[in-house]
Amino acid sequence: MDDATQTFIQEADELLVQMEDALLALEDDPGNEELINSVFRAMHTIKGAAGIFGFDPIVTFTHPVETVLDTVRSGARSIDSELSALLLECKDHTARLVAEVTASELSDDTLEQGAALLHRLTGEAPASVKDQVEGAAEEASGPANENWLISLEFKADAFRNGIDPVSFINYLSNMGEVVDLVLHDDRLPPADEADPESCYLGFDIVFRGEVAKSDIASVFEFAEDDCDIRILPPDDIEQHFLELVDELPEDHTRRLGEMLLEVGAITSHELSESLQIQITQDGTPPEDEESEKPPSAPVGEILVQRKAVSEAVVNKALGRQAQERQKATQEARLIRVNSDKLGRLINLVGELVISNAAIKLMTEKHGLNDMNEVIASAEHLIEEIRDNALQLRMVQIGETFSRFRRVVRDVSKELDKEIELVINGGDTELDKTVVEKINDPLTHLVRNALDHGIESPRERARQGKPAKGTLELNAYHDSGHIVIQIKDDGAGLDKDKIRAKAEAIGMIKPDQVLSDKELYQLIFAPGLSTKEKANNLSGRGVGMDVVRRNIEALRGIIDIDTELGAGTTVTIHLPLTLAIIDGFMVGAENERYIIPLSMVEECVEMDSGDWELSEERRYVNLRGEVLPYLRLTSFLEIPTSDSARDKRESLVIVRIGNNKAGFVVDELHGELQTVIKPLGKIFQGFKGISGSTVLGSGEVALILDVQGLIHTAMAQMGVH
Amino acid sequence: MVVDDSASIRQVVGIALRGAGYQVIEARDGRDALSKLTGDKIHLIISDVNMPNMDGITFVKELKKNPRYKFTPVIMLTTEAGKDKMAEGKAAGAKAWVVKPFQPPQMLDAVSKLIM
Repeated sequence: MDDATQTFIQEADELLVQMEDALLALEDDPGNEELINSVFRAMHTIKGAAGIFGFDPIVTFTHPVETVLDTVRSGARSIDSELSALLLECKDHTARLVAEVTASELSDDTLEQGAALLHRLTGEAPASVKDQVEGAAEEASGPANENWLISLEFKADAFRNGIDPVSFINYLSNMGEVVDLVLHDDRLPPADEADPESCYLGFDIVFRGEVAKSDIASVFEFAEDDCDIRILPPDDIEQHFLELVDELPEDHTRRLGEMLLEVGAITSHELSESLQIQITQDGTPPEDEESEKPPSAPVGEILVQRKAVSEAVVNKALGRQAQERQKATQEARLIRVNSDKLGRLINLVGELVISNAAIKLMTEKHGLNDMNEVIASAEHLIEEIRDNALQLRMVQIGETFSRFRRVVRDVSKELDKEIELVINGGDTELDKTVVEKINDPLTHLVRNALDHGIESPRERARQGKPAKGTLELNAYHDSGHIVIQIKDDGAGLDKDKIRAKAEAIGMIKPDQVLSDKELYQLIFAPGLSTKEKANNLSGRGVGMDVVRRNIEALRGIIDIDTELGAGTTVTIHLPLTLAIIDGFMVGAENERYIIPLSMVEECVEMDSGDWELSEERRYVNLRGEVLPYLRLTSFLEIPTSDSARDKRESLVIVRIGNNKAGFVVDELHGELQTVIKPLGKIFQGFKGISGSTVLGSGEVALILDVQGLIHTAMAQMGVH
Repeated sequence: MVVDDSASIRQVVGIALRGAGYQVIEARDGRDALSKLTGDKIHLIISDVNMPNMDGITFVKELKKNPRYKFTPVIMLTTEAGKDKMAEGKAAGAKAWVVKPFQPPQMLDAVSKLIM
C-alpha cells in the first residue's frame, strides 16, 4: 500500500473518531452547530479524499450521508436519538468501507449493508450518486419566492453585432415569468441626432422563476459584450447566499471571488469584469487579488459598486475567508512526529542530565569555582530542555475520556439502563505512553461501573434515586500526580458479599480481621467476582487484577472507595511522566536513595523537637499528628555501623493521596534531576524499590517505591 | 444559413433546425456562403471557424460589409482549443459561440436566444 493511501486511511480514521465524538456530544447538546459541522466535515472530507483516490464505493456511500447532514446543518432536520444511532452506524460502515476498499477487498455484503443503511437514513430507495448530486445542485440554487430584478443596458453597437434585445427577453420568459418590464429610453437622443443603427435602450425586468443566478446570466451570455447586465437576487435568495457562504467546504486558499462564484452570488462574467476593472485601476494583476494594497480597491468593493452582489454577502464571505485562514495557520503550526523520535530525544536529555551532574561534581571536586556560574546556567538550561522535551509527549486526556461516550451509550442501550456520562478535567495533560496504557484498564473500570455499579432504572426508582444514573470521569493534578477518577452513583460494593466470596474461594480465613479498605482491595485479587452471573461485559472475575497490574506497571496506584447503595469511586494516581523526574536524594548508611520530589511533603531534623518517635508502637508523633514511619536502614536490611547510632537522623514526610508516612534517614542531600532507569529483571520483585538512577559520580542510587513503603509502614503501625 | 466544411455537421445542424421549424441554407465554406447570399432574408448564420477557401472569421468580416446582412446575428462554432480565436471573431462581429462537440438542443438554445 502506498504512502498516500496510508495517509488517507489515517486521516479517515481520525475524522471518524471526531465524528463519533461529535455525535455523542450532540446527544447532550443537540443544537450545537460546531458539533454538527464537525460531523458534516468528517463525511465531507472523507468523501472528497476518497474521490481523489478513486475509491468510488466510499464516495457513493458518504455522499448521501453528507447530504443528510447538510439538511441537519441547514436546520431542516434535527439530530434525534434515532438519527444519531443511524449516523453512528454510518460512521462504522464508513470505517469498514475504508478498510475494505483500501485493501481491495470490498465485499458485496458490505455494499448491500451500505445501501440498506442509506435507505434507512434517507428514507428513499437507494439512488445513484449522479441523481444525488443533481438533487444537491437543485437545492443549492434554492427556491425563489420573490422576484429577480434584471437590469439590462444595451450598448450602441448591439444591433450591429446581431444582438436583438427582444429575443433574449423572449428566451428569458421560457424560464419563468416576466412579471414586469420597464423600458428605459432616456439615452435616446433627439430624432435628428439618433443613429438608427445604434441601440439606445435599457430594460428593467422583474422576473419570477426558480432559477440560479448563473441560469439567468447564461441567457444573456451572448450579449455580455454589448450590454451591461445586473442581476439582483430576491431577498430570500440573498439570505440563501449568506447561508451558502457558511456552508462552503473548507479551503483556506480560496479567494473572495471564487467563494462568491461558488455560492452563485456572482457570475463568472461579473467576476472577470470586476477583476479587469481592478487591473486597469492600478495595474495589479488578478493573481494579487488578495494582496489588496491601497489604493487598489478590493474586488469585493468593486463588485458591490457594480451592484453585482450585496455588501452583506461580500462581508460574510470575507469573514469566512479570514476565519479559515486563521484556522489554517493554526493547523499549519502542528507537526506530526513519530513518537519513537520523541522517545529518543527524551532518552538523550536523560543522558545529558547525568553528564551535567558529572561535570558539576568534577568542578566541585577540583574546586573550579569560576566554573560555577557557567555550570549553573547550563543546569538551568538543561532543566528547561528536559521540561520542554517531556512536554512534547504530553497529551490531553479528554480524547481518551470522550471515547467512553460511545461505550457508555452502547452499553446502556444493551443493558437497558439510562446512564449519563459526565467528564471533568478533560484538558488535564499526561504522558502519551501513560494515556495509551491507561486506556484498557479504564475501559474495564468503566464497563464495571456500568454493569455492576449502576442499577436498572426500575431498581433505582425503587431506591428513590433518579432513574438516570451518572458516571463521572474526572481528571486532575495532585502533587505531581495525575488523578483519574471513575465515579458512579450506583449500588456500591457489598462488603459482606465480598467477604463471603473471598472466604468461599479460600482467599481469606473466616476469622481474619480486615479493614473495609482491605476488603475492598480484595476485588483486585484474581478470581473474585460477586456478580452471580457473568455477561459479556464484566463479572468474570478476571480483569480487576489485570487492571491493578496495569496501573502498577505505570508506577500508579489504584484505590477504591464505596458506599453500599450510594456508589463507588475508583481513584487512580498516576505519575506525570515515566522518564525523568525531580527527585529528592536522601542517604542512609552511605547508600543513596531517591524519593520523587512531588511526594515529599516536608523534611524535619531530629533535634528540631518537632517530632518524637515511638519504637515499640511504631509511630512518629509530628507536632501532634500520628504517622506511621519506616527506618530505611532497617527496612532495607542494611547493616548499621556503630557510628550510625550517634548520627543525626532526619524525618522525610511523604504523601500520596491521603496516605502519609515518615521515612527516617541519615542524610538529606537535596533535589536532583533523576533519570529513571528500570530495574533489571532480578530486582523486579524487590519490595520498596521502583527503579534506579545513575548519579553524576557514576554511582547508582535507588528510587524508592513510596507507595509500597507507605503501605508497609501503615501495616506495621497497624493502621486500618 | 449553416456554413461548415463538414457535411455531417451541416446535416446534424440542419436536421435540428428544420425540426424546430427553421428553413436552412447550407454552405461548405466562407466563399460558398457569400455566393449563396442571394438577397433572401437570412435571420441567422451558424458558421465554423476553420474552413478551406475562406475561413469563418474572414467570412463574418465580409458579411458585415454587406448592409443587407450587417445586423444578422452570427453563431460561431469552435472547439475548446480554438477559443483564442474568440476575441478575433467577436471583433469581427460574431457574438455568439457554441463549443464543439455540441448536442443539437444546445444549438437550438443558442439560436433561440438570438432570434425569437
